[in-house]
Amino acid sequence: MSAVDDTLGNAVREQERRLLNCVHCGFCLPACPTYRRLGDEADSPRGRLYLMQAVVEGRLAPGSDAFRVHIGRCLGCRACEPACPAGVEYGRLLELARQVDRDARTPPLLSRLLPRVFGTDWIARPVLFAGRLLRASGIPALVTRMLARSPEGGRPARTVGAAGLALAMLAASAPPREWSRRRPPATSGQGDGGGGASTERGGAGESGRPALAATARTGPSVGLLAGCVQAGLFSRVNAATARVLGANGYRVVPVPNQGCCGALHAHGGDLEAARALARRNVKAFEAAGVDLLATNASGCGAAMAEYGTLLDRDAALRERARDLAGRVRDVSQLLADRGPAARGAAIRLRVTYDAPCHLLHAQGVADPPVRVLRSVPGLEVVPLDGADECCGGAGVYSLANPELGGRIGSDKVRRVLETGAEALVTGNPGCMMQIGAGLALAGSGVPVLHLAEVVDESYRRGGLYEGRTR
Amino acid sequence: MIPAALTGSLVEIVGSDAVVVDADRLLVYESDALTAYRHRPGAVVLPRTTAQTRRVVRAIARHGLPIVPRGAGTGLSGGAVALDGAVVVGTARMNRILEIDAANRRAVLQPGVINAELSVAARPHGLHYAPDPSSQTACTIGGNVAENSGGPHCLKYGVTSRYVTGLTVVLADGSAVRLGGRGREAPGYDLVGLFVGSEGCFGIATEIEVGLLPLPEGVRTLLGIFERIEDAGRAVSGIVSAGLLPAAMEIIDGPTIRAVEESVFAAGYPTDAEAALVIEFDGVEAGLDADAARAAEHCTRAGAREVRSARDEPERMALWKGRKKAFGAIGRIAPDLLVQDATVPRTTLPSILKGISEIAGRYRLVVANVFHAGDGNLHPNILFDRRDRDEVERVERASREIMRLCVDSGGTITGEHGVGLDKKHHMPLVHGPAELEAMWGLRRVFDPAGAMNPGKVLPDGAKAARTGDEARRRDTGGVRGAARAAAASGGVLGLLPADRVLSGGAARAWAGGFPAEGVVFPGGLDEVCALVRAAADTGTRLLPAGRGSWLWAGGWAGGGAVIVSTDRLNAVSRYEPADLTLTAGAGIGWGELDGVLRPNRQWLPVDAPGVGAGTLGGAVACGVSGPLRARYGAARDNVLGLEVVTGDGRVLRVGGRVVKNVAGYDLVRLFTGSRGSLGVITGVSIRLFPRPDADATLFFEGGETELLAMAGAVRSTSLPVAAGEVAEVRGGSRADRTGLAVRVLGGRAEAEEVCSRLEREIGAAPGEVLWDGASEIFHGRRAGWEGEAPMVARLAALPDRLGETLALAREVAAEVGGEVAADVLSGLVRVKGYPPAEELPALAESLSRARRAMRNAGGAMTLSQAPGELAARVGWTGDPGTSATLTGRIKSLFDPRSILSSESP
Repeated sequence: MSAVDDTLGNAVREQERRLLNCVHCGFCLPACPTYRRLGDEADSPRGRLYLMQAVVEGRLAPGSDAFRVHIGRCLGCRACEPACPAGVEYGRLLELARQVDRDARTPPLLSRLLPRVFGTDWIARPVLFAGRLLRASGIPALVTRMLARSPEGGRPARTVGAAGLALAMLAASAPPREWSRRRPPATSGQGDGGGGASTERGGAGESGRPALAATARTGPSVGLLAGCVQAGLFSRVNAATARVLGANGYRVVPVPNQGCCGALHAHGGDLEAARALARRNVKAFEAAGVDLLATNASGCGAAMAEYGTLLDRDAALRERARDLAGRVRDVSQLLADRGPAARGAAIRLRVTYDAPCHLLHAQGVADPPVRVLRSVPGLEVVPLDGADECCGGAGVYSLANPELGGRIGSDKVRRVLETGAEALVTGNPGCMMQIGAGLALAGSGVPVLHLAEVVDESYRRGGLYEGRTR
Repeated sequence: MIPAALTGSLVEIVGSDAVVVDADRLLVYESDALTAYRHRPGAVVLPRTTAQTRRVVRAIARHGLPIVPRGAGTGLSGGAVALDGAVVVGTARMNRILEIDAANRRAVLQPGVINAELSVAARPHGLHYAPDPSSQTACTIGGNVAENSGGPHCLKYGVTSRYVTGLTVVLADGSAVRLGGRGREAPGYDLVGLFVGSEGCFGIATEIEVGLLPLPEGVRTLLGIFERIEDAGRAVSGIVSAGLLPAAMEIIDGPTIRAVEESVFAAGYPTDAEAALVIEFDGVEAGLDADAARAAEHCTRAGAREVRSARDEPERMALWKGRKKAFGAIGRIAPDLLVQDATVPRTTLPSILKGISEIAGRYRLVVANVFHAGDGNLHPNILFDRRDRDEVERVERASREIMRLCVDSGGTITGEHGVGLDKKHHMPLVHGPAELEAMWGLRRVFDPAGAMNPGKVLPDGAKAARTGDEARRRDTGGVRGAARAAAASGGVLGLLPADRVLSGGAARAWAGGFPAEGVVFPGGLDEVCALVRAAADTGTRLLPAGRGSWLWAGGWAGGGAVIVSTDRLNAVSRYEPADLTLTAGAGIGWGELDGVLRPNRQWLPVDAPGVGAGTLGGAVACGVSGPLRARYGAARDNVLGLEVVTGDGRVLRVGGRVVKNVAGYDLVRLFTGSRGSLGVITGVSIRLFPRPDADATLFFEGGETELLAMAGAVRSTSLPVAAGEVAEVRGGSRADRTGLAVRVLGGRAEAEEVCSRLEREIGAAPGEVLWDGASEIFHGRRAGWEGEAPMVARLAALPDRLGETLALAREVAAEVGGEVAADVLSGLVRVKGYPPAEELPALAESLSRARRAMRNAGGAMTLSQAPGELAARVGWTGDPGTSATLTGRIKSLFDPRSILSSESP
């Protein structure tokens, strides 16, 4: 019970003190993807808050099935937060509830393993390297194609099984093949073409930091969070982010000694591990002396923007964490703040945009990504029905809850296909893999792109990078 | 905990993932949005279909457990809380929109569909669902039906019950009944109207048919900022008295403003103001600015510090967002909140607001007011901290005082949140024992075993029944003797002084040939009671009537009945123009009513056939409606309260004189249109409307095919057309001819604009346009169209089948040398005729054929007037279908001796 009293209990009481407590109005219900599909109040934000309250009041055992199942079934998408008129800080309470749940029993292997892997450099590097090798072998893509059916008769991802889904997600992290005919020139091993493991390895650099391309000499200094999965499997996105920021007048500076942001740990309730990672990053970015901290993985962005709260009991670092959190910006915000200033060449493509939950709901960034996309010449941006709903990826959710995650994911895939878009654009590696895997399993060739990749391609075609030294 | 056997049956029906029996998981179903009441249910079941719901209910009934229907659990009266381990039947998985029928502006839904999502789905068709409770992003249509939900825009558009046209209901025994019809016109008692607002006590609505409205093309939103809340209340009264009809008028007081501004929904209200008044106008663009300017002027005159207007859609949305999320936002200024919900006559707002603040001061409480000012629907939210025992005590006392204040001012205890668990003990504030007993009776009609949502709405059964009996004894004492005297002195006709009794030839002459035994003219309520009781004691048939213009409209057409005329009960007892309500005796004539209303530029826009000659009570009893229904609703939508003497001689005062009232079951709708079969209506309160500045009627001429095509254009236009009829048109300056008459009402600029655009949309120039006086006279004459016709039949199907319905009607008309009139917007076609006696058998045949054809087309045919022989052969309404049992039980509840019209309408 100590975890209950120390953490969740305190937080609930604190919310009450700040009058952020749930008034039970129910406005969050329709915003919740799990409630919409299951229709059980216990799978709604209001229901989960009620269970948390019951644990705090001692009416419900923290180790009870009800608590484990329903807290565990939350995607953590935080779509309930903007819907809440009382201002309940649901995401924060969820993390604390998960900590209580963790303390009450041993969580499932996967939920323990993945954060451990990504949070520890010496484990993460070889694992991600192995992942890239596996991806380069073409086996995941092959398996995906074997599992796939035509979109009409497409089987939902949930029947594929966790292993199949994991392979499909890995395959989906590979650079997409056909969305633009001319690839950027692969100079000095920094290019992102081809999709082989060797290029990826080159792009990732030895510390997982992004290669710095064509950066501005003046302007605000920006440190880019390289991330764990992002650096390991999406180094091309990191490289593209650096280039497009540079082209828009940001001075991208290296940030040595940074690491995993800790989001996965916090979402899973391992707040101590999350705090350790947060401390490391606070120090690293402080040392680099950056004006702004850029993220291109919205899950990481959301987590870092909340470092202040995460470390609020750390007297030494509290203020510094708050200060850093205030500097966190998504790449789309940074680009939109500048206009974007740079204008590339046309990309004749019909795309649709899916808002990552941790960008839209947790960070409240709604317009910038769309504004940036609309600024790309030639790009036709069509609206995506349900773009504000979670794709079911939710960190490791789709692997831990394959059935429900699969249902949510296949709804997303269906809606993407209904738009007739030639590519889906989003802003988070988890979403890219989840939707990418879903599309591939549905037999669709629609690629999933990161916003920065699209802008980058436009700039490259426009010759913005030519003649630049790096 | 429920028995394992029941769990097993439920799992078998809906699957294990749709049955919750784990006590821990059931915690979350302890309460709805009113957390003061917490009771854990025995189980929760989530069926997906009507069939599953029926089986689920049957299974639960077999185990004798009570049932509580639940939507999204956003209710504010504790209505969805399960007492005594009841099983919750949740509608969350019945969330499909089954049909959006854009051509007929209707939708068919499962109950779990979220209110706002219906409007989202209807938007591509240019339509929307009008009732918009503040919780519309979360609450379900099923819940709206149960609560008869309102919302800000109900000021102009009316509440849920105006829009629900048909229901499939699963009763407590697991049977399913179909209430209402497809489209607007359904024969029989208004069981849909009765069910709406029954708070889950009558059954579970598993399929809901609603009407949709075209999206208004323009909107103007104003924000008046006031230093004193009473000034805002005065501005509201001023705007209404001036004849303006905004779509919504909402007041947000100082404490609420500050809470909203601190929340994520900050709307830019100035935090130092004591009231913000949001006013919205919608409709065609022309005239909106003028209306808005006039409203702004009224605000300034009432003392507004500033009047802003939303410059664009985002600003408008922000203004509304702050208002709509206010309830949640108030959570930010106090740990606990008691949301009150009372309705008062609009003109009393300033004094009530002052009274509330006085009560709050006396009990040392903070009250935050946010409410639908245009409707007089208050939401005083009392802030408190439930850990403070003393404060909780004071909240309860203050709350009751506030309610009593509202009731004493002519208001009611709940306008839209319902009674539920929270207010059932306050029901005696507004209802006497007789009314409560009638409500208990209706509950037993639907649910004899008392299994549906027990412990809600009505104060404890035993107690109420007892007080009911006492009341009956008390009531009856004096007149029992009179009844016995009547029996001794030769019946009902001997009860009143001779100058108020007609018999024999005189009676028949008064009744225009109707075979009446006699006519009596009671001069007061007591006399009506005495007559009814005497009739009950002596087994005399009674036919309630006004001036006798609709005598052929119900049972006893075969003769042998004594007519009770309310002609002498004709006084206006209360008329407050700024409240837009009037209360009068049922016998007030239409002409006299108009004489009272006209000087104040107000009217009751019911243009039903024959109203001109009849009385208000007669129109209500017959539940009439005419072509204006599409714009203003039918009688059922504008009757606020009734005084009725039921067939067993009890006096019921149902409803009230406020425009929103959900305190108990909707007996007003049950009696409206019951055609004298349940009681004698002696008094009526109605909702009035400002008379529009401009009244225009456009005549279009052409062959039937052309007219039907033009009618189609009128039906599908998004322009606010008040009425449209294809008929043999008499009047105007030219000779009689068949044509399409389209009526446009509104402000001058608006009406002119609508007329000219309508011409373009119809693609033809009208042969003639009548304006104002001429238009009014024309429609006055049209209202008398049925006139003396001894036979009038109504054929109703969905509007887009107008062609087929019209053709069928013409066949009938041809046989009786009659005429037809087709209401373009509702799809109703009336046939009047003068059948010679010898042709009645043949006519009966073809009417029965027509009824079958209409039924096959999903419609209905009813007789609204007919000679006794014809009515006996054809039946007024035909087979009432699955609702026959309910209809029969209702009849014997209110008329146990069957002295009133023997047949239901």
